[in-house]
Amino acid sequence: MGSLRVSADRESCVTSSLCVYRLPQVFDQDAEGRVLVVDEQPPDGLLRELQRARRGCPTRSIRLEGPGVEPDEAGEATP
Amino acid sequence: MSASSPIGYPLPWAPAPDIPESWAALGERPLQEITLPSGDPALLVTRYKDVRRLFADERLSRNTFGRASRVSASNDLFGDPNIDNDPPRYLTERSVVMRAFSARRIEALREVVKVIVEELLDAMEAGPQPAELMEAFAYPLPILVICHMLGVPPQDRPKFRRLIDGFLSVSALPEDEVEECRKQYWEYLAELIDAKRAEPGDDLISDLIEISREDPSKLTAYQLQHWVKTLLIAGYVTTASQLGTGMAVLLHRPEVAAELKADLSLVPSAVEELLRYQMMGTSLGTLRYAVEDIELLDGSTVIPKGSTVLLSQESNMDPAEFDDPLKLDIHRTDNHHLTFGAGIHFCAGAALARMELQEATEGLLRRFPGLRLAVPGEELKRPVGGFLAGYTEIPVSW
Repeated sequence: MGSLRVSADRESCVTSSLCVYRLPQVFDQDAEGRVLVVDEQPPDGLLRELQRARRGCPTRSIRLEGPGVEPDEAGEATP
Repeated sequence: MSASSPIGYPLPWAPAPDIPESWAALGERPLQEITLPSGDPALLVTRYKDVRRLFADERLSRNTFGRASRVSASNDLFGDPNIDNDPPRYLTERSVVMRAFSARRIEALREVVKVIVEELLDAMEAGPQPAELMEAFAYPLPILVICHMLGVPPQDRPKFRRLIDGFLSVSALPEDEVEECRKQYWEYLAELIDAKRAEPGDDLISDLIEISREDPSKLTAYQLQHWVKTLLIAGYVTTASQLGTGMAVLLHRPEVAAELKADLSLVPSAVEELLRYQMMGTSLGTLRYAVEDIELLDGSTVIPKGSTVLLSQESNMDPAEFDDPLKLDIHRTDNHHLTFGAGIHFCAGAALARMELQEATEGLLRRFPGLRLAVPGEELKRPVGGFLAGYTEIPVSW
């Protein structure tokens, strides 16, 4: 178990599926296609990929916490 | 606002499947005044970070009907006073539709797409060379896939294709003919939905009818018909155009094509790069309307309230976001291009389009390792007066 914490906002999710394709071991979708976090404490080794998934999300619906997590890019809106 | 004198939009294309230097130079100003094909004015947002941010900004309304500039003088395209594309109404409708586009549903469809790809390639292989890639492959594939998904009877496909092509005219057809296509298409959809109501199948239209029947507050009958209209159009022309354009761009660079043919595991990143590099050969995109003044990231440029705004696809050429942006690099990683948009209007069919483009590209290159353009790239013809650019014909040999 890692010290990273992952959460996602189902309300703002628009079913791009980008996180599911990038990290199927962490993200899935419910019957309506909205994001589900299936591993809320993924291994630290996934940090880089998780940051990419967060960056790629069209609605900024992914949140990361933990040591080494970089702040989300400045200047880009959070919903 | 600081913007220069207006320029015509879409920008002129390069003669070959290349990116004109002028596109990259656009970013020198964050906001550029443009003139749409209708003659109406609009403002083009040019920089990646502004575009990324504004896609998610609710001060830009998608409800442009009757108040914003028009793309076309003879065709109101998607303008519909009965449809509001802004939240919260839009989000409810969209969430109903999106269940059909989850990764699991799209992956289940991948096997169907593989079979369609092989059948089309069989027919291409059996026919004469050079073959015409648009007619033989790029148009039929997405039509067959979206018709499968929505449950459109095979015998209706030529008809709905003719009507959509007319509907999507920006200046190719006179106003009365566009209107006639729009009317016939709307009537055709009403008949199709009635037939599905009488005899439901295992398809998206039947699913949407069921949801609409159970809870009309989620999806009225009119909204149902509107979504079917939109999904059929969006599932067909955009993917066809992107598939053709992507192959033209790739085959115009034989050394890059050879690299991809030698390592088909690069197909997914190549598809992303082709999407970034020349999205559908570029199109007019979706207009937005500023309901308030909006300041850009430079802190001094403001989009005035009441402006019609276009978030440029050329922002995929922003050197602040992409290294060497005018280079087609099929190895590019972290390719967060904005071709499918962002925010709540992020393309509903993006995962479907990606999957189709991947299967189509891999199928073509695997079956025809010698695939090449049968004419010089400079001689490929662009369509005139349509909503999308792309190429009218792409002759290929193998």
